[in-house]
Amino acid sequence: MNENLMTKLQILADSAKYDVSCSSSGASRHGAGRMGSAHMSGICHTWAADGRCVSLLKVLFTNNCVYNCAYCVNRRDNDFPRASFEPEELAALTIEFYRRNYIEGLFLSSAVEVSPDFTAERILQSLTLLREAYGFAGYIHAKIIPGVSPELLHRIGLVADRLSVNIELPSEESLHRFAPQKQARQIFAPMRQITNTLIETNALKGPGNMFKGKKLNTAEHYLGEERIMGPSASAGFHVDRKRKGTFAAAGQTTQMIIGAGDETDRSILTTSEKLYRTFKMKRVYYSAYIPVVSSPILPDRASAPPLKREHRIYQADWLLRFYGFTSAELFGRGGDNLDPDLDPKVTWALRNLDRFPIEVNTASYEMLLRIPGIGDISARRILRQRRFAAVRFDDLKKMGVVLKRAKYFLLCCGRYYGGHRFDPETIRNGILQLENGLQLSMFDTGSGDAGTILPGQQTPAEPVLGYDQNWKPLPEGERLEKLSAAGMV
Amino acid sequence: MIDYIYDGTFDGLLTVIHHHYYTDRAAGIFTEGLYQPSFLHDSMTVTTDTAKADKVYQAIRTKISEYDLRSVYRAWLSCDPEKEMKILRYVVLGFREGHRTSSLHGDPVVADFQAILKKISQESERMLQFVRFSVVDLPRGITESLPEPDQTTGNAKTGPAPTACDAKAGLAACDAMAGLIGLPAAAGEIPAGPASASDQILYARIQPDNDVIALAAHHFSDRFRNERLIIHDVGRNKAVIAYRGRWIVSAFSPEQIPKASAEEMEWRRLWKQYFDHIAIMERKNTRCQNNFIPDRYRKHLTEIITPDEDTFRK
Repeated sequence: MNENLMTKLQILADSAKYDVSCSSSGASRHGAGRMGSAHMSGICHTWAADGRCVSLLKVLFTNNCVYNCAYCVNRRDNDFPRASFEPEELAALTIEFYRRNYIEGLFLSSAVEVSPDFTAERILQSLTLLREAYGFAGYIHAKIIPGVSPELLHRIGLVADRLSVNIELPSEESLHRFAPQKQARQIFAPMRQITNTLIETNALKGPGNMFKGKKLNTAEHYLGEERIMGPSASAGFHVDRKRKGTFAAAGQTTQMIIGAGDETDRSILTTSEKLYRTFKMKRVYYSAYIPVVSSPILPDRASAPPLKREHRIYQADWLLRFYGFTSAELFGRGGDNLDPDLDPKVTWALRNLDRFPIEVNTASYEMLLRIPGIGDISARRILRQRRFAAVRFDDLKKMGVVLKRAKYFLLCCGRYYGGHRFDPETIRNGILQLENGLQLSMFDTGSGDAGTILPGQQTPAEPVLGYDQNWKPLPEGERLEKLSAAGMV
Repeated sequence: MIDYIYDGTFDGLLTVIHHHYYTDRAAGIFTEGLYQPSFLHDSMTVTTDTAKADKVYQAIRTKISEYDLRSVYRAWLSCDPEKEMKILRYVVLGFREGHRTSSLHGDPVVADFQAILKKISQESERMLQFVRFSVVDLPRGITESLPEPDQTTGNAKTGPAPTACDAKAGLAACDAMAGLIGLPAAAGEIPAGPASASDQILYARIQPDNDVIALAAHHFSDRFRNERLIIHDVGRNKAVIAYRGRWIVSAFSPEQIPKASAEEMEWRRLWKQYFDHIAIMERKNTRCQNNFIPDRYRKHLTEIITPDEDTFRK
């Protein structure tokens, strides 16, 4: 081992880090091969300085690119050091890191050297070496280059656990503007092929809970007239259950860049929802645009990456996959962008306050999930306890419900604990104050933890506003001080 | 109501639970070294009785549930100073409520108990994440007595399952491993096999708060089934020793492990290099990173400490 390998690793990791997909979940494999196993929920081994989890050796095979995508650090015109791995080098590196339990597996992407098929052949060669010569049974995530031929894609899928084709940009116009050498049909054809092959091997699972309980591996979800690969090519379409797990066991994902063009959040999430519903992708990843190269058509080099926006989009994406929301619901008449101050679930609840407050002892699982501050785990605990004993307000905190948001939207044994007024402005200000600033008058509800009987039975003589009209967000240190003085942290 | 003093074993705790019902109600349960006599309660030292412990074990399994039996064991692995009383209260509640006990999340006794379980499961997940092996060369002269590693080269996805060692050979392999590091081997013949091709051990140090290395042992012994593993719990002087799908937990002291080789230092440097360069500096978020990696785990993480330090001597 030499300085050469050290430099190559540094260059190729530096090039690969903008590909944000890092998960090692979706494949379960034990007792296979000579070394390694795959853990179904994935294992994060460490966290990098930017807070993101590191679970795979994420590298490019080579960063010598013939394309010239405007946003990419490896584009042909950019003056950036170039390097390439040899297949044996990469395989040895992966195995040695894996043995020491540094990583769960390999994430292999590549710049386009010579042509998509040439690069894909080299990737296939490395992965086959790893799987067969070294007997590696850990996790492999292979990036598919748009424009690759169907045969190569199929063979890569047989050795990889997860496949992804980056959609890069949310709309075809942006794609044409920033990455003219990648064409939309070259991106969607491999996506279709992967989905179809997964259906044929009875392995297609949709994203999150979106298709829970529904049969996905049937002809009605098959996409178009794409060529069928593998043994069933001559037999026409049929689902072969014995081949489950042989092709891309962990499914398909994709990634798009946020903030490069001028798309709205609504168009981004509508695109994601289409990807989930059509291709049944496992996940769409969003990467805030980081200006690593100067370009006249992209945001300025000095501009800050839109991290807050990316965060809200991820929250909305979770709502699509796990909470049964649709993108139409997330954007009301209000606008095409998500509220930066409050998470999308709260803004939806405030727009639909007529459905609240919901009684936790009688609501269905789907309605419980819609309460801000209650997630999957808390909802299941509530359901479980409900069969044997009533759920009281004090129990909710022990179940993991985030009361600072949830108390405005729920009833517990008929009592409401969210203050005196039930209107969107009051609740919005209440939540914002607790999240961002602190006005002690907010906690003077008068009735303490006994809860308030809703209007209709007995109203207080003098209505209490419940918030200070002149509040403003406090700086971070002061906020934490006040929160702990009030016993909130 | 009296205070019970027990010997710190799981069977001892079950014996105390038996005494709680048949002798006198427990006011507190303490291990031998930690007891301070109190004016309020008398104390009684409990000798572990396997018959009584078995009775309680079966009672938990039949009257509460299998799941709760496993939970009680996992809770006992915890480092919580109050764990024995919390377990006792949970078991008492469990005998009254039956299999629905684990669903009563609001009950303070159940909530306390499940808080311990949550810490245990968090920490055993961290065992999977933060264990870092170093490749250490075996001392000369030991290799002849060790069995060959598995040579099958099947396809990773459809390859044959590794040959199941029969119990005697597997245990003997572990004994051989224990023997090479100077521990007394348990009863069993060491098979005289051919000289091993690879003469390396994977050695890891970890310092969990709770006693959870055994919970992670199966994962590592399956994943690295053809390697010789030692996962050393530094604070407790115990280690998981695994080879060819079998593993044992035994007492272990660190003086016996030789220094890491120069090649090992190279791989550590490569890993640290990768770790430093995979972060996007424009998104730097140290607070987020610190939330995920608490300080107490950092001293054995290769990517955070300087890789040239010889951590074995620490």
